[in-house]
Amino acid sequence: MDFFFIHLLNALLSAATLFLIAGGLSLIYGVMRIVNLAHGNLYAFGAYVTAWTLGRALAGAPTPLLYLALPAGAVGAALLGAVLEPTLLRPFYKRAEEYQLLVTFGLLMILGDVMHFVWGPYPLSASALWENSGSVSIAGNPYPNYNLVVIAIGGIAAAFLWFFVYKTRFGVVLRATSQNMRMASALGVDVNRMYVQAFTLGCFMAGLGGAIIVPSQSAVLDMGVDALVLSFIVVVIGGLGSLEGALVGALIVGVVREAGIAWFPEIELAVLYLMAAAVLLVRPAGLFGRAT
Amino acid sequence: MLELERIDTFRGQAQILRTVSLRVGEREAVCLVGRNGAGKTTTIDSIMGLLPLRAGRVTFGGRDITRLAAHQRARLGIGYAPEDCGIFPDLTVEENFQITEWLKGPAAAVGDDGYERIFSVFPEVKGFLTRRGLHLSGGQKKMVAITRAMTLSPTVLLLDEPFEGLAPVVVSRFIEAVTTIKAMGISVLIAESNLVNATRVADRLYAIDRGEIIFNGLPRDVFANHDVMRTIRG
Repeated sequence: MDFFFIHLLNALLSAATLFLIAGGLSLIYGVMRIVNLAHGNLYAFGAYVTAWTLGRALAGAPTPLLYLALPAGAVGAALLGAVLEPTLLRPFYKRAEEYQLLVTFGLLMILGDVMHFVWGPYPLSASALWENSGSVSIAGNPYPNYNLVVIAIGGIAAAFLWFFVYKTRFGVVLRATSQNMRMASALGVDVNRMYVQAFTLGCFMAGLGGAIIVPSQSAVLDMGVDALVLSFIVVVIGGLGSLEGALVGALIVGVVREAGIAWFPEIELAVLYLMAAAVLLVRPAGLFGRAT
Repeated sequence: MLELERIDTFRGQAQILRTVSLRVGEREAVCLVGRNGAGKTTTIDSIMGLLPLRAGRVTFGGRDITRLAAHQRARLGIGYAPEDCGIFPDLTVEENFQITEWLKGPAAAVGDDGYERIFSVFPEVKGFLTRRGLHLSGGQKKMVAITRAMTLSPTVLLLDEPFEGLAPVVVSRFIEAVTTIKAMGISVLIAESNLVNATRVADRLYAIDRGEIIFNGLPRDVFANHDVMRTIRG
């Protein structure tokens, strides 16, 4: 039972990060109808910024200060998103989808090179926070307290996003823009402004995903592509453009990955891809997506 | 009030409007009649800023708005109800109405009196405020689209095919609503393919064919113009 509980916590840990990345990807697609392939490296950018802030700029600082500085990566990714949307993406909205895919894929590559240039080829770690947070004993086995913090942040982020999108005025205008951009603009909604806000929020989520993961594992250059692939599996299962879908998809992928690591490690990724393929066959729009 | 001066509009490579000039005066109901594909919706979209002009200009209240974006035109007081109603399917009817309110901010809020005035056009809308746009009938969608455009406190209202697909008895109800809107001092421009409906509501008519205005005059005069009648009726 305790063995099962630890695996459940690990699954939730994985799901918390995946939800933040896939939720941001889904939010951006839902509002702007752009599949942002650069999203993986915005997650990696958040990880690098937080790793640099905690591991270099604030090295040796007390733990509460490190916790306060943890969202630095999220803020960094959000600022980057606020610059990228109007300058690089906006000129391509009226072009065919393949141009948008090409430009976001190019951006994925460029961001990878920028991180390589700024932070070098070696992993950047900020494990002090993870180490200083201590551990709790579960059935005689130590379990890192920091992992519980990550799970809590994932849960709080999901609740905050649900409230933000469904219970605030901004959320209503955001949903209106996502459902009919032309009509929203004819009612006085500044669509360009909504787009930059939605993109910034999506990047903030990706950056937060990177920021919270980096104390327990180093920031490395290919982490963005790995995360992008996994978050695509999440949105294929949950439905691209749906936040509920991103949450349920992240939980499913988190549980299956953890089960895979425990019982069938050789075919862990194959099982995930097969699941995504099965969902595509049975429900092409995903579990929570709406067929168009 | 609202004036188009020799506008040319394209959709992709195809020129749809050719030197279209049109004027809507204060407290006036003007109908733009023409067959399907004549250029009615393109004219409305050009006024709303949803399509860019290649030539000509649009003025509103004496101000040149040709280069303004759609949201800026809406905020100046141009209300718009499109042919497909444009109801946000996942929002409730009430949320559909609140969008303009929230954008204007509390200082310019419509207020309870304002809402009573808006709902006086279609009081039946109050009965389905909590229903989602997805679950409305065709007639209800048209009512919501017009009421929603009224929440902008417009000085001119652009209605694209407001009577299309409605039963004759319901059309009468909508014509009554347009009369109520006009009585509030709001100008109305209606794109309409049914000439009889148009003459029931319009103070003045424009007829459009193949992107060109072919008639401008009083409703009673259009019936005497055989060339225009032949063109409109096909």
